Amino acid sequence: MEKTQTQRIQTSKINFKWRLPYKAQMRLFLLPYVLGTIILVVIPAVATVLISFTDYKAVGVPKFVGLQNYIDLLGYGLVRIALRNSAIFLLLAVPLRIFGALALALLLQRKGRMFGVYRAAVYVPTIIPEAAYALLWLWIFNPLYGPLNLFLGLFGIQGPAWLTEPATARLAIVILALFQIGEGFVVLLAGLQSIPRSFYESARVDGANAWQSFWQITLPLLSPWLMVLTFRDLVMSLQNTFAPSFIITYGGPYYATTFAPLLIYEMAFDYFELGLAAALLLLTYVLLGLIVIGIINAVGLGGSADEA
Amino acid sequence: MRRRGGWLLHHAAGLVILFLFLLPIYWIFTASLRQRGLPPPTSIEWWPSPATLDNYPFIFDLLPMARYIRNSLIVAVTAVPITVFVASIAGFAMSQEDDVWRRRLLVASIVLLMVPGASVWLFRFQILRWLGWIDTLWALIAPAFAAGSPLYVLLFFWAYRRIPAEIFEAARLDGASAWWMWWRLARPLVRPTAVTVIILSFVMYWSDFVSPVLYIYRTELYTLPIGLQILKQLDPTNWPLLMAAAAVITLPVLVLFIFLQRSFLSDLSIANLMDQN
Repeated sequence: MEKTQTQRIQTSKINFKWRLPYKAQMRLFLLPYVLGTIILVVIPAVATVLISFTDYKAVGVPKFVGLQNYIDLLGYGLVRIALRNSAIFLLLAVPLRIFGALALALLLQRKGRMFGVYRAAVYVPTIIPEAAYALLWLWIFNPLYGPLNLFLGLFGIQGPAWLTEPATARLAIVILALFQIGEGFVVLLAGLQSIPRSFYESARVDGANAWQSFWQITLPLLSPWLMVLTFRDLVMSLQNTFAPSFIITYGGPYYATTFAPLLIYEMAFDYFELGLAAALLLLTYVLLGLIVIGIINAVGLGGSADEA
Repeated sequence: MRRRGGWLLHHAAGLVILFLFLLPIYWIFTASLRQRGLPPPTSIEWWPSPATLDNYPFIFDLLPMARYIRNSLIVAVTAVPITVFVASIAGFAMSQEDDVWRRRLLVASIVLLMVPGASVWLFRFQILRWLGWIDTLWALIAPAFAAGSPLYVLLFFWAYRRIPAEIFEAARLDGASAWWMWWRLARPLVRPTAVTVIILSFVMYWSDFVSPVLYIYRTELYTLPIGLQILKQLDPTNWPLLMAAAAVITLPVLVLFIFLQRSFLSDLSIANLMDQN
C-alpha cells in the first residue's frame, strides 16, 4: 500500500512537470461551486432585489418606479394577511421546532444500539418527499374519517374540522412542520457531542445535579448552535410552507394559510407581476431580518461572546 | 435499583418517540393497502381488512407512473454524483486555502444557507431560459453544478479539516498534484460525509416539488411529485390510491435511508461547525 502510493507520486511528478501551481489547481477545484452558485443563486437573488424597484411584467424592459411597488403592497389587504399568517406561523412553529429538536437530542444522545434506532426514527419524517408528506397530512386531518379525529374519538373527543376552519387549518400546517425536525436534531446532537465529557465530570465532583449541569454547562455551550439554528429555521420553515399550502389548502380557507411564499408565487407566476412579487419577497425577509436583530439584542449575543 | 428504573424510563421515552415519528409513514403504507371503493372507516383502523396490494398496479394503469419514475430517476442519478463531486472538490480546496480565503468562503457559504428558495425562483427561470434548459430535465439537475446546497460543501469542508495537515504536506513535498491528493489521499478518508451528502442530495432531487412546477411544462417530462399532484386533482378523495402513490415516491428514499443511516447518523463533520467561527 505504502509502496504503490510513493510510486504514484513519482509517476505523477514525471508526467505533469508542466502543470499549474498547486494554489491555482485548488482554485480550479473551487471553480464549479463558486461559478455555479454565482449563476444560479447570487445573480437571481441580486436581480430580484433590483427588480423590486421596477415595474416588470416578465416581458419587455423593466421600468424604474422607485418605491412604488412597496407602496402598492401596503395597499393590498392580502399582503397584510399573508404577512400576518407568516408571523403567526413562525412564532408558533420555530420555537416549538427548536425546543423539540433540543429535547429529543438531549433524550436520545446516549450510546447504545436501541438509541441509534430511536435517533434514526426521528429523522424518518424529514426524508418523506414533500408532495407525499402533504398528501399524507391531508388524509390524517380529514375531519370525518382521518386517523387523527378517529383517534381522538376513542377518548370521546370530538375533533375539530381542521383544514376547513381558518384557525385550525393554520395550526395544522404548524403541526405537520413539527415532525420534520431531523436537520436541527442532528445538528444539536453534534453540538452536544462537541462538549467535553470532563466538564460534566468536574461538575459532578462539585456536587451539581443533572438539572444544574444542564443550565450551567449544556445550555451556554449549545447557545451558538441554537442561535444559528433559529436563524436558519426562520428562513427555511417559512419557505417550507409553500408545498403544504400549495398542495393541501391552496391558501384557504379564507386565506388562513396564504403565507408569503404562496402569495409571491401567485403574483409572479399567475399574474406575472414580477416587480411586485420581488418587492413582497424583499419586504418579507427585511421583516424577518428585523426579527433576527431583535432576537440578537434580546439575548445579547455580543455580551455572551465577550464573557467567553 | 434506582438506576434500573431510570434505564427503563429512558427506553420507554425512546419507544414513545419512535412510535410517534414512525406513525406518519405507517399511515401512508396502511392506508395504501385499503380496498378502494369501500366506505371510509368509522373507527380507527390500525390494519385494513381486507388488506390488498391492488392499488399499486391500478395507479400504474391510471397514470404513466413508470414514466414519472424514470424521469425522477434520471434527474436523481445524474444530479447526485455531480453534486457529490462538485461539493467534495470544493470542500477539499476550501480546507487547503489560506486563512483569509478560507474564512471568506466559509462566511459566504453560511450566508448563502440563509438565502430563501423563493428569492431565486423568478430569475433562475430567466437564466435557465438563456441556457436553453427550460422544459428539459436539465432545469431540475442544474443545482448540482453549484454543489446542490452550500451545506454539502460545508459538510465536506469540515470533514477534510479533520485530516491532519502533515499528511498533505508530505505528499506536496513529493510533488503530488491537487487531483491526486484529493482522489487518492483525502477522499477515501471522508466516506461517512459522502454518504451523508448522497442521502441528503438524493432526497432533495427526488422530492423536488417546486422546480418542476416552475420549469417543466411538457407532460412527458413530469416527475413523480408532479404525478402525485395530478393524481390528487384526478381523484381528490380516493385515499387508498393517493396513499399508494405516496408510498411509491417515499419507498426509495426510505430504503436508501435504512441502508445508509448507520453512516449518516455517525457522521460528525457538523460537530466542527462552531470551531471555525
